[in-house]
Amino acid sequence: MPAAENSGRAAILNRVRAALKTPAKVHDSPGHVHAGPGEIFPPIGDPLERFRSECVGNKTELIVTSSFEASLAAASSILAESQAGEIFVQDAPELRRAAAQFGAGRSLRWSCDGGPLESTGVTITLAELLVAQYGSVLISSACGGRGASVAAPVHIVLAEIDQLVPDLETAMQRTYDPASRNSYLCLITGSSRTADIEKILVMGAHGPKRLIVILSQS
Amino acid sequence: MTTTAQEFLRKAAEKSADMAHRQIIRKNMDSYDEAVANGRSRFQNWQAAREKCQAIKREAIEHLDHYLERFESAVQARGGKVFWAETGEQARQYIVDLAAKHNVRTISKSKSMVAEEIHLAPALEEKGISVFETDLGEFIVQLRKEPPYHIVTPAMHLSRAQIAELFKEKLGGIDTDDPEQLVTAARTTLRRAFFTAEMGITGANFLVADQGLAAITTNEGNADLGVTLPKIHVVIAGIEKVIPRLQDLAILWPVLASSGTGQPISVYNTLVGGPRGTSECAGPEEFHVILLDNGRTDLLADPEQREVLHCIRCGACLNACPVYRNIGGHTYGTTYSGPIGSVLTPHLRGLNQFQHLSYASSLCGACAEVCPVKIDLHHHLLQNRRNAVNLADRPASERFAFKMWRWSMGSAGRLAFFGAIGKFLLRALYALGAQGTALDPLRPWTKYRAAPQLPSKSFRVQWREQNAGR
Amino acid sequence: MPKVSLFIPCFVDQLMPQVGLDMATVLRRVGYDVTFPEVQTCCGQPGFNSGYWNDARPLAERFLRVFHDAELIVSPSGSCTTMVRVFYPQLLQNTPLQNDAEQIGRRTFEFSEFLLKVAKITDVGAEFPHKVTYHDACHALRELHLKQEPRALLAAVRGLELVEMPFSEECCGFGGTFSTKFGMISSAMGDTKAGNAAKSGAEYITSTDPSCLMQIEGILRHRKSPLGTVHLASILARSAER
Repeated sequence: MPAAENSGRAAILNRVRAALKTPAKVHDSPGHVHAGPGEIFPPIGDPLERFRSECVGNKTELIVTSSFEASLAAASSILAESQAGEIFVQDAPELRRAAAQFGAGRSLRWSCDGGPLESTGVTITLAELLVAQYGSVLISSACGGRGASVAAPVHIVLAEIDQLVPDLETAMQRTYDPASRNSYLCLITGSSRTADIEKILVMGAHGPKRLIVILSQS
Repeated sequence: MTTTAQEFLRKAAEKSADMAHRQIIRKNMDSYDEAVANGRSRFQNWQAAREKCQAIKREAIEHLDHYLERFESAVQARGGKVFWAETGEQARQYIVDLAAKHNVRTISKSKSMVAEEIHLAPALEEKGISVFETDLGEFIVQLRKEPPYHIVTPAMHLSRAQIAELFKEKLGGIDTDDPEQLVTAARTTLRRAFFTAEMGITGANFLVADQGLAAITTNEGNADLGVTLPKIHVVIAGIEKVIPRLQDLAILWPVLASSGTGQPISVYNTLVGGPRGTSECAGPEEFHVILLDNGRTDLLADPEQREVLHCIRCGACLNACPVYRNIGGHTYGTTYSGPIGSVLTPHLRGLNQFQHLSYASSLCGACAEVCPVKIDLHHHLLQNRRNAVNLADRPASERFAFKMWRWSMGSAGRLAFFGAIGKFLLRALYALGAQGTALDPLRPWTKYRAAPQLPSKSFRVQWREQNAGR
Repeated sequence: MPKVSLFIPCFVDQLMPQVGLDMATVLRRVGYDVTFPEVQTCCGQPGFNSGYWNDARPLAERFLRVFHDAELIVSPSGSCTTMVRVFYPQLLQNTPLQNDAEQIGRRTFEFSEFLLKVAKITDVGAEFPHKVTYHDACHALRELHLKQEPRALLAAVRGLELVEMPFSEECCGFGGTFSTKFGMISSAMGDTKAGNAAKSGAEYITSTDPSCLMQIEGILRHRKSPLGTVHLASILARSAER
């Protein structure tokens, strides 16, 4: 917006600069600690084991397979369990290869054709990273576009073991993108939920009721 | 006393005596406390975590101009637009004009306290635009036409029976108090809104300066639909939300969740910057970030209270506050309630009108103890009180009373004299049966509690007697 | 014998004198020469808490004069000790007395803090054969960081059974003028405290702060509760010796 149209910009920045001429009165308590990240959180042991136990805690369904092919097969059998709604799949070469398996008898749409629809039943995507510390999946708009992870009641993520990082510190370092290619990122930890009614936990508020991570160890 | 203060007293009296309300809130808070205790165990050193978060916010606020400019360039590099709004009015007008330009009929909104602060929804609804609150708690209070009760759990005060009744009446086609079915009913209604809305409005928990990203945290995933499906995405956030680096989120996200709900981390921690990228097949065509001042620069200019801008709006202070637990969120009559609201509102909306909130506290300090960014909230309440005395209207009788107090405490002789006289008169009045009646000088006390003992011999008299000749 | 000066809060002097006398008894019993600077009045807290800092300041200055030569100052109140240690430096900031204000906090102690940290004693030869629960007064807990000290003293009292109440750290609702300005909220908080104390099964509630006890006592009598209140100093003053 041209500066003239937003006079608020100069006004606000001027007020900020004038205010900051006086430093804040700081009154740190004695024993003020400057801790490194390693001190705040206990060390992560075996990342895969940690990821596994976190998924149990946050209600992510985790399936560990021996190969990407086995992962694709596992995804297909999950699809076969329920026939509801179209399948929306990230347009990635690895997933294009499995099109026939997924699409058997189902209507299938690729992410390059637009976003998921109101009637989409399942979305299938890859991931950027997995984070062992919280059992999280980091998704970006490169993983099937925005909304691929949230729009349908079931979201299946296919990932590989070398995408698993121990903690959030590492994940954020890897995510930092000076070229800013992704307009959207989401760290997903478990499936959608709400406790707004009497603090009773209900799954599947707006996002998926089921988040399934299929992790191949090769 | 202003009418705002009178209204506060009236509502506080009502709510404090409401045992059903007290029990509901107690139950919610017990559940929160349990979750937080679990969540704390995730941290090897919680105090170090607090200090790190305090350091991050301090760095951001002490260099606010630098980080705001950085954020702005990063957003613009992504193809987004930044609008700097000095007042709520300017922010509202920008959004109303944008909606008009694009013939927006429906808006999906994901929780934003700032949008509440500037009364955005009514301004849009006046233009015939339907605004759907998509956070379930916000959706519920929107149907009830009341403001949010709590900044993190907006419908905390309602039982499932009340919600069931509400849905039956307003949504139709549902007659159950089963939470799963209620959530499904809300989901179905809001899903329609998501897919038809031309504009999505969200707040932001953090504005990441080095990457030009708005960080939005939910458990439901509503923000993700809101930033994907509409053609236009608008973020509205206070200028104090800016943080230096993406890396800072590695500690801020877990701390926000831990303090807000007790979870190790929230389900959806979303980062969005710009309209959809050129290689992306889904997402908005336009991305606007409104940076709101609305009194924040005044607080910034107060070196003693600047740290109040460090607040990450986690709600922990509300949960810890025994006053909040008894009067509830609506009694405050302000967008921000609880301790942070009591500290902040006089700065944003005027000391004279809102000083009473700073006095409505026993200064127990539980808020400061739980604040994840170590804001000394209870000390700021004291400072607000001092400012009220020095700069605003206090009752003349109160000013006089403290002048008298200062004078009578100026000598041991006067203290002894007035103490003895006061007790003598009280004993005489009480002997005549005046305790608890309109004639009782201690009525503000005895209305709710038995009067204290009135010993005839003070400490100093007894000390002198017992230690004569030492 | 080492000397201590008694800092007796104004309302203890007028409304709860026994607390001061009991504290003196214990201090003597453990070997201190106890003096009471008679000209003391008030630390200034009521005015300070209500925002009347300009009216509280002369009283703070007076306190500094009265206790100028006292090497050790002991008070039966966490909130009054907090006023001196935590708030005098703020109240007297940018005045010639700023240094004195910062220094006096180092020689002013709340009673249980004094016994544990200066006298280094937990067993003061007391007997109190009752079930007692401890209320964590806010200033003592959060400003002076006292949690275990009063409990250690109570644990050493013969015959005393210490039982914990749920939410012992939750404010009793006194808060100075808050108790009368916002009586309805204050009494609701007091009510909650009384209910929690009853759950402990105790006969008595004790604390470091007489103001809390005045609030809780008032609520208990209003509720016609069988529970009683007793200040920590008064428990410790009950000698085990026959």
